Amino acid sequence: MKLFWKTGEPYVLATGAALAIILVMSLTLIGTVMTNGLGYFWPRELVQFELKDGSKALGQITQQEKNPLSGEQRLQLKVGNRDVFGQDFRWIDEKEITARSIPADAVLLERREHGNYFGFLQGVTAEGITLTAGTPYEKLIQARTLVSGKMNDTRKIRKQMSDLNYTAENLRLKLQKLEYDGTEKNAAAIAELTAVREKKMAEFTRLNEQMTATLAEIGRITAQMTDVAGGSKDISLTEIVALQRPNSMSFFAKCAAYLERVRELLLDDPRESNTEGGLFPAIFGTVMMVLLMSVFSLPFGVIAAIYLREYARDGLMTRMVRIAVNNLAGVPSIVYGVFGLGFFVYGIGGTVDTLFFPERLPTPTFGTGGILWSSLTLALLTVPVVIVATEESLASIPKGIREGSLALGATKFQTLTKILLPMATPGIMTGLILSMARAAGEVAPLMIVGVVKLAPTLPFDTNFPFFHMDRKFMHLGFHIYDVGFQSPNVEAAKPMVYVTTMLLLAIVVIASSTAIYLRNRMRSKYTTSTF
Amino acid sequence: MAKNFTDKSRRNDRLAEVLIRIGGLFVIVSVVWILVMISRVALPLFYPPSSKIAATVKVPTAILSGKVLAVGSEEYQQGAFVLDDSGTFHFLNMADGSLSASIKTPMVPVGADHVVSAEYIGKSAYNLLWNNGAITSVTVGLTAAKAREGTVTLTHDVTAKDDIAFAAAGGIVQSFARPIEDRGAVRIDRLSGDHLRVTHQLVETDLLGTEKRTTTSVDLTDPLPGRLSAVTVDSKGHYLYAGTDTGWLLRWDISEPGTITLLESTPASENHKAITSLALVLGDVSVAVGDTGGALTTWFPVKVAGSGEDRRLTRIHTLRSNVAATAFIIASPRDKTLYSGDTGTIHVDHMTSERNLLTIKPLAPVTHAALSPKGNSLATLDRTGTLTIRKMDIPHPEISFGTLFGKVWYEGYDKPEYSWQSSASNDDFEPKMSLVPLVFGTIKATLFAMLFAVPLALLAALYTSQFMSPKLKGRVKPVVEIMAAIPSVVIGFLAGLWLAPLIDKSVLTVFLSIVIVPLMLLLTIFFWKRIKGASPLQRVSRGHEFIAMIPVVILGIYLAFLLSGIAEVHLFAGDFKQWLFSTLGIRYDQRNSIIIAIALGFAVIPIIFTIAEDAISNVPRNLTAASLALGASRWQTAWRVVLPSALPGVFSAVMIGFGRAIGETMIVLMATGNTPILSWSLFNGLRSLSANIAVEIPEAPLNSSLYRVLFLSAVLLFIFTFIINTGAEALRQRFRKKYGRY
Repeated sequence: MKLFWKTGEPYVLATGAALAIILVMSLTLIGTVMTNGLGYFWPRELVQFELKDGSKALGQITQQEKNPLSGEQRLQLKVGNRDVFGQDFRWIDEKEITARSIPADAVLLERREHGNYFGFLQGVTAEGITLTAGTPYEKLIQARTLVSGKMNDTRKIRKQMSDLNYTAENLRLKLQKLEYDGTEKNAAAIAELTAVREKKMAEFTRLNEQMTATLAEIGRITAQMTDVAGGSKDISLTEIVALQRPNSMSFFAKCAAYLERVRELLLDDPRESNTEGGLFPAIFGTVMMVLLMSVFSLPFGVIAAIYLREYARDGLMTRMVRIAVNNLAGVPSIVYGVFGLGFFVYGIGGTVDTLFFPERLPTPTFGTGGILWSSLTLALLTVPVVIVATEESLASIPKGIREGSLALGATKFQTLTKILLPMATPGIMTGLILSMARAAGEVAPLMIVGVVKLAPTLPFDTNFPFFHMDRKFMHLGFHIYDVGFQSPNVEAAKPMVYVTTMLLLAIVVIASSTAIYLRNRMRSKYTTSTF
Repeated sequence: MAKNFTDKSRRNDRLAEVLIRIGGLFVIVSVVWILVMISRVALPLFYPPSSKIAATVKVPTAILSGKVLAVGSEEYQQGAFVLDDSGTFHFLNMADGSLSASIKTPMVPVGADHVVSAEYIGKSAYNLLWNNGAITSVTVGLTAAKAREGTVTLTHDVTAKDDIAFAAAGGIVQSFARPIEDRGAVRIDRLSGDHLRVTHQLVETDLLGTEKRTTTSVDLTDPLPGRLSAVTVDSKGHYLYAGTDTGWLLRWDISEPGTITLLESTPASENHKAITSLALVLGDVSVAVGDTGGALTTWFPVKVAGSGEDRRLTRIHTLRSNVAATAFIIASPRDKTLYSGDTGTIHVDHMTSERNLLTIKPLAPVTHAALSPKGNSLATLDRTGTLTIRKMDIPHPEISFGTLFGKVWYEGYDKPEYSWQSSASNDDFEPKMSLVPLVFGTIKATLFAMLFAVPLALLAALYTSQFMSPKLKGRVKPVVEIMAAIPSVVIGFLAGLWLAPLIDKSVLTVFLSIVIVPLMLLLTIFFWKRIKGASPLQRVSRGHEFIAMIPVVILGIYLAFLLSGIAEVHLFAGDFKQWLFSTLGIRYDQRNSIIIAIALGFAVIPIIFTIAEDAISNVPRNLTAASLALGASRWQTAWRVVLPSALPGVFSAVMIGFGRAIGETMIVLMATGNTPILSWSLFNGLRSLSANIAVEIPEAPLNSSLYRVLFLSAVLLFIFTFIINTGAEALRQRFRKKYGRY
């Protein structure tokens, strides 16, 4: 025993414990995100409670805990029906409950507004269509399939309208430029463009009326619902996004519903100020920003690394470059944001505006945050990651290979492009992936230089010139911050935040694992042990 | 062909070399460029203000033949006006000195003949006191518009303001009149014989729409400590201030019609110098006092020890003195800037920053001076009849080294304080931009996080590099590296919305864990030898100990949680937070420094761990081998041989972690309440420099003081981290050199 202490074994255990704590923390983090994120889409059953005071409650159980005031067990119920009850959640003390049941016919309606509706379907008012199905629920489903064609039409019209809107806006900007250059000089052109624009606007109005008419037509079909408190409500088909009877769903039906929700998450637009619906614009914005960023950071990073490893002699200059690289990596990201705002947005953007778009001022075009400025800012921020990874991979290539190439008469540049760079590609890829992961998760600078909570248009679409570098965009990381901390109803938004977090975490973890795997494989490929 | 080819190769080679060298240099350039660009935005905060004469005009003698009562100008320094005692406003075009128009005031009271004095009451409005004691009010409109070709057109008008109209009265020396919103108006007269009279003229409209006018008058006849030498009234007509020739400053409450209550009288200077002028600073809180000695001080009511809830006028700011007696004080309509003048000079000072912004020396003694409604042009009329308009360029008067880093006594505060509150809903707000609470918050967050992270990260790094089996190491290291890639917004979100409510439910668990987890570990260590013999643990061989520790840690935390429930009931009357507040007076915020320590610590652990682990692993294996061969145990080798050698690298790891924690934004933003307070309490939130930038910069108008101060804090962050990172890199380079030969 004495020896055990003397040799310091306990200290070894203590250090092991430190590692254990770190691992426990990491696992807790991942576990929390996974359990909260994965479970959200699973159709949970609607439980009906009868309470001592005679009232009833219907909802999904979200939490169970001890009431901090009374010490009694209580549970949190998501009761939905925000427009009727005023809030999504309520706490129920267990001792208040007299009976609980799982009514098979309880219906969950996902609505476009006011969150979910939990209740019972009484009937369907059908106007303009004939419903042949038996039960009201089947009727409702049938009604939905019958109008799905019309719903698709409205979607198409909406797309046409947004295109028209874009064209009209472009025309307006052109007109503005012509007027700025001189109304008299360009009178003919102005008249012509105005005519075109008015035609487009008329078309827009026509489409709008058409869509309103179609929607009104569909809207006349309503589901007659009653909630658990006895109140009734007619919900029109246009309001309903999805419906299910979670209490009578089979396991496979639940799986299908789950997958459908995942599809919606990845491919649909958000609803209800981002707290529901999909994440598509945020995913798209993140990916596009990251790709755009790599276009800037990769060449710059690789060249700097080549300089450091292949061209620079050990001296003051190299030391300074190294210090600079370390500082680029160490300067707080918010400082990059501030720099981006001062230099890219107001500096370059402002200059571009005064030179090329003076007619639009004071409305800024490039002189405000946008995807281009965000990518440039993040490119600067992630360059060190590329540099370090590339340098490391160049360093791991044995000297003999370089010497061999040079001895055969190749120039330094030829050696570089034909031998070294191909060999270093895995390392460069590592750097690229790591920098992408870093950029995907970085939020602070983006908040200043171009991210918004809700972007009306994507930075890439089918309208010429396809890439709209001046547009603001949505970002997964910012989405987490915004929905979790800025939304009016944080409690109801939490599940969405967990899902977004899980998605972001998955992207980042998968990317970094790939990068680390690539790097380690390369390390072991070239490393020759000397001891 | 071959020659051609080699030539081309050579040329490409040289070209590539140049390009690559430029690329390398570009890294340095970008670092310098970042610093230069953000400093360039911050620096104008400290540029000296300036004023330049925009135009001078000799006022036509025809106008000067009457008595001039007031002058004024507009924001582009193109037009000016002079009011004479007939009640006529003469508008002058400053470009050529021509008389653009003369407009007589539209409303002359019955029996009045000429104007005795004019009082500027803000928003281009003047009260005119007529020779029979009647008061009327007019608004002067003067705007200059510049066409694209550069020609200036002046538009001007004089309109009657009907909210102030008082009938004739006798024996008046000086008068003030203020509208009372929707209720009428009040006039305050200084009568001969040092009497003051307050007259409320109120209008009440009953339900039927009939107006009932009441006039209430009250005279102040109390004996005063000296003769009145200066009087002023705040813009709402609630408080009356007076100064005497014996240096007393008096304040009355006149808000109730029919009553006049002396709130206090206090000597304004030690040697009882006569007060020569009084003016209210924008916002009506502070009163500026000038005396015969030329001193300029500002005062506002402050809770004084021993006087209960009473607030007494207290001297707050002492501004730069004039040489001779202060003849006039003009408060800027835009901020807390004061223009004060004796006969020879005009001083421009800012109250909050106590900065003497400018000293203007007019050619001849000034008789009248006035600021334009936007506060950016100063019109002065001197004894020679010359009207001068100066363009005042004072972009950031409220910023000084003192206001950024020192204690400042802000309006409404009971003592000088470090405070950050950049904006409020009202325009006459005094911005509080002390960086001290923010720097403090940054240091507090960093320190707590490092206290949490450094021991864990370093011990774990030591274990991983020295004791862990190589096979496991190959798995654990990547895990920690992936941890480093977890976006801070994820950690911040979990800390703010998951961990904070969790800890809120049982704060004690955290404290008990600190005791119980090590205790449990100690116990385990104690019994290690014995339990190692047990069958399932036999496999936990050297290099795998940490796996056995995982359940111990979890168990420890769980035990702490259980105990905390018991302890709370028995020791803290059921509620620890309540007990904390009632017994120790400590307020508990849900998002507090404990959360920050854990979340920020968690974010920097992987960074410190990775670098430290690399440094420790890079100690040449032959040192370890030699030590082990000489009979040292693995701990002795690690602690006495490896660690000292790796110390520079380990230290550099800690520094880099420190640098990262200083600048971390999202975690601090999400896991604290962002309250800029100076408190070391674990249970309070904080606001760091970086989070402050993220919070405030979207609302900061381009090139405003706030915008530049935020850039200044970015410069501070840059410099902090630059020093730390450069230091760490220097250490690492030394470390590399030391072991480079192996």
